[in-house]
Amino acid sequence: MFARAWTKTWIAGASLVALAAASTGAQAAGKDVSLVLGVKGSPFYDALACGAKDEAKKLGLDLTVSAPDQFAADSQIPVIDAVTARGPAAAVVVPTDTQALIRPMAQLAKRGAKVLTVDQTIADTSFIQTQIVTDNEQGGRLAADAMNELLGGKGSVMMITQPPGSAGQDARAKGFEEELKKYSGITYLGPQYQSDDPQKAAEIVTSALSAHPDLAGVFSTNDQGAIGGITGLKQAAATGKVKFVAYDSATAEVAAFKNGAISVLIAQNPKQEGEVAMQSVKRVLDGGKLEKTTLTEIAVIKPGENAKADQYEYKGNCAQ
Amino acid sequence: MSMTTSDPDTDHSDRHTLGEILGRALGGGWIFILLIVLIAIFAAMRPTQFASSYNLSTLAINAAILLVLAIGQTFVIITAGIDLAVGSVLVFSSVAAASTMLALSGSAGSSYGTTDASWGVIAIGTLVGVGTGAAWGLLNGLLVAFARIPALIVTLGTFGMSLGFAQIVTGGQDVRAVPERLVDVIGSGSVAGVPSLVLIAVAVAIVAGIALHLTRFGMRTFAIGSNAEGARRAGIAVRKQTLKVYMLAGALSGLAGIMSIARFATTTIGGHAGDNLATISAVVLGGTSLFGGVGTIVGTVIGVFIPVVLLNGFVILGIPPFWQTVTMGAVLILAVWIDQLKRRARERG
Repeated sequence: MFARAWTKTWIAGASLVALAAASTGAQAAGKDVSLVLGVKGSPFYDALACGAKDEAKKLGLDLTVSAPDQFAADSQIPVIDAVTARGPAAAVVVPTDTQALIRPMAQLAKRGAKVLTVDQTIADTSFIQTQIVTDNEQGGRLAADAMNELLGGKGSVMMITQPPGSAGQDARAKGFEEELKKYSGITYLGPQYQSDDPQKAAEIVTSALSAHPDLAGVFSTNDQGAIGGITGLKQAAATGKVKFVAYDSATAEVAAFKNGAISVLIAQNPKQEGEVAMQSVKRVLDGGKLEKTTLTEIAVIKPGENAKADQYEYKGNCAQ
Repeated sequence: MSMTTSDPDTDHSDRHTLGEILGRALGGGWIFILLIVLIAIFAAMRPTQFASSYNLSTLAINAAILLVLAIGQTFVIITAGIDLAVGSVLVFSSVAAASTMLALSGSAGSSYGTTDASWGVIAIGTLVGVGTGAAWGLLNGLLVAFARIPALIVTLGTFGMSLGFAQIVTGGQDVRAVPERLVDVIGSGSVAGVPSLVLIAVAVAIVAGIALHLTRFGMRTFAIGSNAEGARRAGIAVRKQTLKVYMLAGALSGLAGIMSIARFATTTIGGHAGDNLATISAVVLGGTSLFGGVGTIVGTVIGVFIPVVLLNGFVILGIPPFWQTVTMGAVLILAVWIDQLKRRARERG
């Protein structure tokens, strides 16, 4: 019985070798484009993928979307390697680490694909056609302006952000802090850190309210901080009294915005990022040149602009 | 459970017949056929892409680090234990090693984010990595064997502790400057066309296979997993053996940490969260029993390759990402079920 199983195995093995040996042939046509997202199941990246799919269809590109299980380099690199083996004409990547992704993405470029980044960037951009990003620092400045307007130029303000090390969040925090200095009536209480943990963000807000009963405004640099932050405000019965400005427009944030728990949303436009990515790919494949950086839009959604909030909500609602 | 280990008498320990070894290897036999079938299907559908020498070598590189972790996990699971800390011990060891190498190195290297640290510094860093890994293993082993806390709880605790310490040491920021020689020669280099990382993993697998199947150490590992009380009565120092097995798993996590630095050219504090479950499923796919006493290194090698090949094949075929998650879960259950049926048939005779 063992012998039989082994024989079967060897036959299967031998036919595989024969197959591999017989495999020669042409590469895929010059319209095969791969998009590698940062993580599976994120509304933001699903919206980005939707934008890219619709645009790819219009432009006649043949797009395939892949994503790793976790937003981490060790999870994403095997996906990039498989895309490299697939040999697309162009690949758009959301790099999950500024350094670890350099080598696999350089390899992708070396094997003939035009490589673009979207949403995030990497430290060595020598082989990158263009990086499609939003100006996070500008987003932070817009948040500070909105905060000043909401508070009528007066009051104490705190910020909830991620621990230093995430480039995008750091830039938002920097822009916010710098712009806030312009407004002399505003007292800045400094940053508090949470790492994508709404529970922590809620605790931060409730303890800040105990320490500073006059707290007038909170800015969160991402959706997780916002979701936790407004929960903290609700717990302390300070919803609406303390003005909340939040980055992103995830579904939960849009709902909170309509309820008045969040006053202003600073939204990115992932769908547009996906569209711009495909337009850039098309241009590169047609032999055109691109700027090293392509900026996409940031929208400020002010109180009452419910329709605009719906329009910018991060949703991956296209056909798969 | 165990014709292979029912006789703990050391006199017979190294008299394994070819049939016995083959029989044990076939614990993972069906899985091997499954792997071959998967490879054959992907190769047939995308010959130029899947079956290219480039892709086959990246498949092997992608499996290498996980394989080293899974080998340690195999020993632990054969003793009827479990090690949930492998991934975060990897992170801790890589942080300890990378910080050491950064502190000892001189100026910056020629490519981005590297240092020109000598091989001596790299050797010290490797020792630090393997040593810190073994130290975490020692802690796990002490708590499991001597404090008698269940392995699931102990390693869940050290899973958090090792990751937490890695974050404390670094302030949550990855160590970005690593030795250029390590990255070039080990991380992306190759010897006679075989990637260095793959060579290391193969060497570890061969040594571990010999240790598990042909030495007294391996025999004792099987014995305590099969019947700890019986092993104790047969004069095996069960607690000491358990300690050694957890230390081995820790040391291998440390080695995997060095391989990880070499491959990614940075530490990866945010990653490796799923490595524990990935290694456990690889070990189980390979026919090792979660109840202990049964298992092979060959099976684990095959078990590691199945998810790697599936992911790669699905991306190349362009199958939507969510289907990959579903398929991998289903394959795990299916493979273990077939294995169970086969085992039962064998037991009935």
